[in-house]
Amino acid sequence: MRARRLGVASVGLLLGAAAMAEPPPLATEHLDVAHLPNPSPHWAFVYDMASANQTDARVWIFDGDRYEHLGQIDGGYWPSVAMSADRRTTAVVTTYFSRGWHGTRTDVVEFNDNSTLLPTREIVLPPKRMQGPPSAFAVAYSADERFLYVSNLTPAASFTVVNLATGAIAGEVETDGCVLVIAGGARRVSSLCESGRLLTVTLDEAGHEAGRALSKPFFDADKDPIFVQGQPVGSRVVFLSFLGDVYTVDLSAAEPAFAAPWPMTTAAEHGHWRPSGNQVVAVHAGRKRLYAPMHAAGEGMHKEGGTEIWVFDTESHQRLARWPIDAKRYGPVVAVQITSDEHPLLFAVTETATLLVLDPDTGRLRHAEEKVGQSGWYLVSP
Amino acid sequence: MSELSIVDRWLELSSRSLAQRTSRRGFLGTLGQALVGASVLPLLPIDRSSRAEAAEGHGKPHVDDPKQCEYWKYCAIDGYLCSCCGGTSASCPPGSTPSPITWIGTCHNPADGRDYIVSYNDCCGKTSCGNCWCNRNQGEKPMYRLSLNNDVNWCMANDNPNYHCSVSVILGVAEK
Repeated sequence: MRARRLGVASVGLLLGAAAMAEPPPLATEHLDVAHLPNPSPHWAFVYDMASANQTDARVWIFDGDRYEHLGQIDGGYWPSVAMSADRRTTAVVTTYFSRGWHGTRTDVVEFNDNSTLLPTREIVLPPKRMQGPPSAFAVAYSADERFLYVSNLTPAASFTVVNLATGAIAGEVETDGCVLVIAGGARRVSSLCESGRLLTVTLDEAGHEAGRALSKPFFDADKDPIFVQGQPVGSRVVFLSFLGDVYTVDLSAAEPAFAAPWPMTTAAEHGHWRPSGNQVVAVHAGRKRLYAPMHAAGEGMHKEGGTEIWVFDTESHQRLARWPIDAKRYGPVVAVQITSDEHPLLFAVTETATLLVLDPDTGRLRHAEEKVGQSGWYLVSP
Repeated sequence: MSELSIVDRWLELSSRSLAQRTSRRGFLGTLGQALVGASVLPLLPIDRSSRAEAAEGHGKPHVDDPKQCEYWKYCAIDGYLCSCCGGTSASCPPGSTPSPITWIGTCHNPADGRDYIVSYNDCCGKTSCGNCWCNRNQGEKPMYRLSLNNDVNWCMANDNPNYHCSVSVILGVAEK
């Protein structure tokens, strides 16, 4: 009997232990929809062309502090994208077809709320918008955000002026073969010309052309063309040339002013190292820093992406650092952007659609997020 | 003078029809003005790493295989190779439509030692093929020099401007 009692006691203990170890059931869940707070300066907005299925482009939003995907804004076919100054709105200029991949073409600008990630307003555009490389100049807000300027290419070059106060198309401005829209001053729009000049069109308060002027040539498209993907910095724009010279254009006055270009390469490196990628320059005005993806290569290698990021002082023009990128693991860098706040992050997108989060002082890789879309090649910012 | 250069005016015509309607010397003379800095360059050894998925073969470059990015005619192509999408290096896949406007390049054929002027027409009207991505940029220029630019959608003037894939069509021998 004693043995039996012991056996019963042992079973009881085991059952008690099992009951104690059993976790409580999960709480019931209530399906809801995540809602984002006001956008942080440390969110990366990654333009993804979705190159293998191009009617389905999107902008991915990724938190550079918490390393989390936050959501996506849908972009249609080969969009151009701009962000409002308060970062609360992403304007997506895109093309849709009534039957998905065919049918009636509609060009439209959709204004997406960056918290709900849904369009809250749309304005239909003339069906001639440019489908080309994303940049700050494919579509641009006027400084007061009363107008939106949309690049057109048919292949005749022009731009559409959208009056955001009325929601109407103010008109179309022909640009004599000069391309893209660089907003300057209150009502000026400059375009890049094959002759190395800027064409600057001044608009009136109705968005109609009031005058135009051609600048003197400031670069040589034959000897050393500039990438069109320049970086706006206040009233200035910084461009890089194929061979690695830095061109700064000041658009604050009626006539553009051109600073003397300065080289990123030494004489020995000239022609052997070059900027490479799509978004090839990032500038932090307060810190006076310039970042560029660089590649050791000759002519024809300007879009391969950088295997290093070079850092410069924008005042002294001194090179401060060369940061190697693990290109074998992540692919070369095709886009760079630095956030504009006081404690910035340096973002880089690689050819394999990996988003790198880097320390802008040391180059230390803080995080690598793979597969942010399929073909990211531009980082959107105001 | 208008910023529309001879290159831009040339764009308004199909390069093929222009080549057929113009004497060869006149045609190449026109091209010569468009191809400053782009002609008679040797085919450079190119490290395309992962950018060229079609070119990831090992050993010698596939300069004679139209389904490989290293094929000699593709020296400034940017897009999906129509050879991998149901077409060839000079024909569009079924159901697609050639772009009437194009960008151009000069590529060296190692088989006969000649430089050829090629037009990189896009094939349009279907969504992107997704096979054999290839991006090479010998002599390629930014979009303010439109006829030498491969970044823009060259299906822009088609009724259906969807980009499908790209071909490389020989227009003639480049003058040295």
